[in-house]
Amino acid sequence: MKWLDRFSERSARSVARQSSRRGFIARVGTMILGGAAIPLLPVARASNNRPDAPAESGDPRSCDYWRYCAIDGFLCDCCGGTYNSCPPGTTVSPITWIGTCTNPVDGKDYIISYNDCCGKSSCGRCLCNRNEGDKPVYQPPLSNDINWCAGSSVDTPYNCSTAVVLGLAVAES
Amino acid sequence: MLRKLIFLSWVLLLPLAGQAEVKPESLPPTVVLPAEPNPHWVWVNDIVFHHMVDGKAYLVDGDSGRFLGMLSTGMGFVGLVLPSDYAQIYSPETYFSRGTRGKRTDVITFYDPQTLMPSGEVVIPPKRFAAMPTNNYSVLTDDDRFLIIYNFTPAQSVSIVDVQERRFIAETETAGCSLALPSGERSFMMLCGNGGLMTVSLNDKGEVTDKQRIKPFFDPQNDPVTEKAVRWGNTWIFVSFDGYVYPVDVSGGQPVPGKRWSLFTESERKAGWKPGGIQHLAVHESSNSLYALVHQGGKDTHKDPGQDVWVYDLKAQQQVRKIKLDKLSTSIQISKDDAPLMFSIFIGNPTLDIYDAVRGDLLRSVDEIGFTPTIMQTP
Repeated sequence: MKWLDRFSERSARSVARQSSRRGFIARVGTMILGGAAIPLLPVARASNNRPDAPAESGDPRSCDYWRYCAIDGFLCDCCGGTYNSCPPGTTVSPITWIGTCTNPVDGKDYIISYNDCCGKSSCGRCLCNRNEGDKPVYQPPLSNDINWCAGSSVDTPYNCSTAVVLGLAVAES
Repeated sequence: MLRKLIFLSWVLLLPLAGQAEVKPESLPPTVVLPAEPNPHWVWVNDIVFHHMVDGKAYLVDGDSGRFLGMLSTGMGFVGLVLPSDYAQIYSPETYFSRGTRGKRTDVITFYDPQTLMPSGEVVIPPKRFAAMPTNNYSVLTDDDRFLIIYNFTPAQSVSIVDVQERRFIAETETAGCSLALPSGERSFMMLCGNGGLMTVSLNDKGEVTDKQRIKPFFDPQNDPVTEKAVRWGNTWIFVSFDGYVYPVDVSGGQPVPGKRWSLFTESERKAGWKPGGIQHLAVHESSNSLYALVHQGGKDTHKDPGQDVWVYDLKAQQQVRKIKLDKLSTSIQISKDDAPLMFSIFIGNPTLDIYDAVRGDLLRSVDEIGFTPTIMQTP
């Protein structure tokens, strides 16, 4: 069924991109990927081409921290990782859902990718659920109700969630 | 030393002394549940979010508040699937060979509803959707013959199982569409990212014979319907974040979206009333009643708990009464009989509250019902 997976994965992502209110975010995400080998994921991380880190304020172990505006899960910063890295022994899920959060320092909106860390049981610390811009599960790239570890190499065991800046959420012209 | 020996002899004699006065009981027998379920029973499903490898489902008698038994249902548990005759209980489950590692196996486990023992299983593709539970991820066709399981890897597909022959039939891809909503004896619908539907038709062997896409019937960007739709006869009731009802008639085979109506008056909407929760809707079929869990809140509060249940006459499309809950709630369910109970539970405080669904009176509370209870079902 691998061929089926690849086919429907591609189609699903295409539909998701086209049907999203924040389709522009998906398109930005695709552009950021640039020369990546598999430029299919609307919310894939852009590891080599990210803009400079945004100015920071707030406590990344608090649910109020600005990047967590659409997070749902245990904060990796409380679990041995940080707000943008996974705890030891876990594996990051490369695909995930995204949100758009306002940074209180510069007032700008940033695209945040909430990559799950996977392969161990739930961390159980700093549970945080905020739903700014969250959509139902039939719009997967915008839904924080989905266990995104399903897309990781170690499958669904979910440990915690990170909040990675993908870039500025520039308005559609 | 002598004192120790005297003490030891007393200890050894104690059981004999007891035997002389009380007949010892036999090894405890295991309770067997009645063949006919009480319509006031409720199954409470628990994803056990802090220990997701250990999903559970609890059976509670709403009349007595008694905890009747439970099932152990594996990793990332969503919920049971109950056929209308309650002759078996079906449970879509996921297991890893080393607990949280190793080879993943997904199964439909069949449980005997009297003994709560497994009576068989069907292995399905290891792709079952892992997400915050709703009742619309695994469903039976209207004649209870085929079980449809929504998959997400993130490739989207469904698996089809013949529960009568206990056999996996096939997997079919459903690009862009999610959930599973039965629409007839040989058909089901899926909700698509563009606000439309996909209908899938089966033959008598459970094989897919047709797929049709239905054009969008709501605005998925500005006011999406929740995934938590409920069935009223041959009509599916979808409710949007802002509290608009989108009925979809499935009596004719293909779904026909009906005219939108509102749960709220304009003044109620201005006051911030919104639907919200995990299982925020329930239908009582014989009285044509819709129960909606509501709260006052701003944008993006579609998953917030509520402490109010507003009841609607689905035929008149009008609110008929309001029930004030004793506690915050994320899930409500109604029993199917003519003297219905309403069950209410909050994922953050696992106490099951049981109400008279007509009068709205709190009858009893049952505490310690799991850890993070999600959705409920009544037989």
